[in-house]
Amino acid sequence: MLELLNSLFIAPFDYGFMQRALVAGLALSLAAPALGVFLMLRGMSLIGDAMAHAILPGVALGFLMAGFSLPAMSLGGILSGLLVAGLAGSVSHMSGHREDSAMASFFLISLAAGVMLVSLGGSSVDLTHVLFGSILAVDSTALILIAAISTLIVVVLAVVFRALVVECLDPLFLRGQGMAGGLVHGIFLGLVVLNLTAGFQTLGTLMAVGLMMLPATTARFWSKRLEGLIGLGILLAMFATSGGLLLSYHLELPSGPSIILLAGACYVFSALLGRYNSLLAKLRRRDAPLEPRAAE
Amino acid sequence: MGRLALHDLSLAQGGRTVLEHVEGQFPDGAITALIGPNGAGKSTLIQGIMGLLKPSRGRIECAVPRERRAWLPQQLALDLSFPMSVEELVMTGTWPSHGALKGYCGPHYRQAREVMARLGISHLAHRPLGELSGGQRQRALFGRTLMQEAELLLLDEPFANVDIETVEVLTGVLRDMAGQGTTIIVVLHDLDQLTRLADEVLLLDNGHARWTTPQAVIDQPTRGTRRVSPFMPTQDADTPHA
Repeated sequence: MLELLNSLFIAPFDYGFMQRALVAGLALSLAAPALGVFLMLRGMSLIGDAMAHAILPGVALGFLMAGFSLPAMSLGGILSGLLVAGLAGSVSHMSGHREDSAMASFFLISLAAGVMLVSLGGSSVDLTHVLFGSILAVDSTALILIAAISTLIVVVLAVVFRALVVECLDPLFLRGQGMAGGLVHGIFLGLVVLNLTAGFQTLGTLMAVGLMMLPATTARFWSKRLEGLIGLGILLAMFATSGGLLLSYHLELPSGPSIILLAGACYVFSALLGRYNSLLAKLRRRDAPLEPRAAE
Repeated sequence: MGRLALHDLSLAQGGRTVLEHVEGQFPDGAITALIGPNGAGKSTLIQGIMGLLKPSRGRIECAVPRERRAWLPQQLALDLSFPMSVEELVMTGTWPSHGALKGYCGPHYRQAREVMARLGISHLAHRPLGELSGGQRQRALFGRTLMQEAELLLLDEPFANVDIETVEVLTGVLRDMAGQGTTIIVVLHDLDQLTRLADEVLLLDNGHARWTTPQAVIDQPTRGTRRVSPFMPTQDADTPHA
């Protein structure tokens, strides 16, 4: 029995590439879900997707100029992500249109530009790597970069946490208190870009969003408190990364999709059987008698 | 002397002049009602006073530091589905003294409890905002405002969507605050509340402002005000939103 457990859960991590993959995934799992929770609560669940496309041209440029160098590609990704976020913000400010329409326009431009750049300079294999990543190819440099970015995100998030909460609830409150409008929002979007850049090596630009959003949306079926959402999101992300890695190892599946699909399975399970607002909770509520009215 | 004075003030929104040549002083320790039809510039004037909008002409003289100005928007402008409890919302009112980083400590929690007791929401302290009725939410928002210890308080239709009992509690709170010297400006549509609440009236219409008294408005109702029976508007307002 012990031997079986060992061969199922422990032995795979004897390999260096599995160890690095696990550590990279767990580091991302600490940072990404909290961002996802705030994106979800701000009604910006799809912005993560848009930003993921926005970092593509920078990653491609970094790749063209420095070859397959993670620091160069990450730097390019951060710069182009911040540029797109800034441009989208200023266009929506200037035109008065909603930010998501500007964001949609810019991310489509970025996607096309990114694919164009990668195709001009490399083969389709490179493109696949950038789009879908490969967590098993994480080397020590990449690992340090991912851990550093995740740490930075957690620390900055802790600093702006209260401001972010207050701003989500009542955006004008902080402006009334003399805080520059959009400052908190800008920092937050910057963190999202950073996180996606850290994630693209492991999961690819497109699926890095998955580790951010799926744990957050899943947690919503289990908790109604902010701390609960974030804590549960982190646990779910950790479960999905380690479980996904093991699945991919034993069943010889691609690792990135395994991780995200496992997170997705948690989401579907929770939507059906979760504690709040799931299908089961709705069915149960219909049968429950009227709650006695609390004394006011 | 008033802490807040307007001198030949003109305000514009998106290139269109909304208010012109507004003069006058808001009295300290008194409640001034801001009335007028939709689009008369009530919200614009509030934005100007909060410093969110630059005057296109004239100036706003405000002796109250920014962190002592509090502004309570209409409930609809807020995302009250955010997972936050009543106590947490009330505690965000410590922002002027605590900012983003300072930790909360015992005295502040005590103060928050006193505030909630005064508003009759102590039993809701740990209830999420999303599970409250309109009236309970408004009390919680007032709690945040009370924690701010504001010297200048601006409210936009604070009694819309609120039950009668809450209106009475909140009216009492506002009167107490005025008694302690707070300058209060409140956007109102309801004439009955006007007589109960306001000491002064600033009537906005067609880009111009006129100072008057509640009695004069009652005697000669103008556009943008309505007389509603106190038992009419809010009967259903107390049902929780999903």
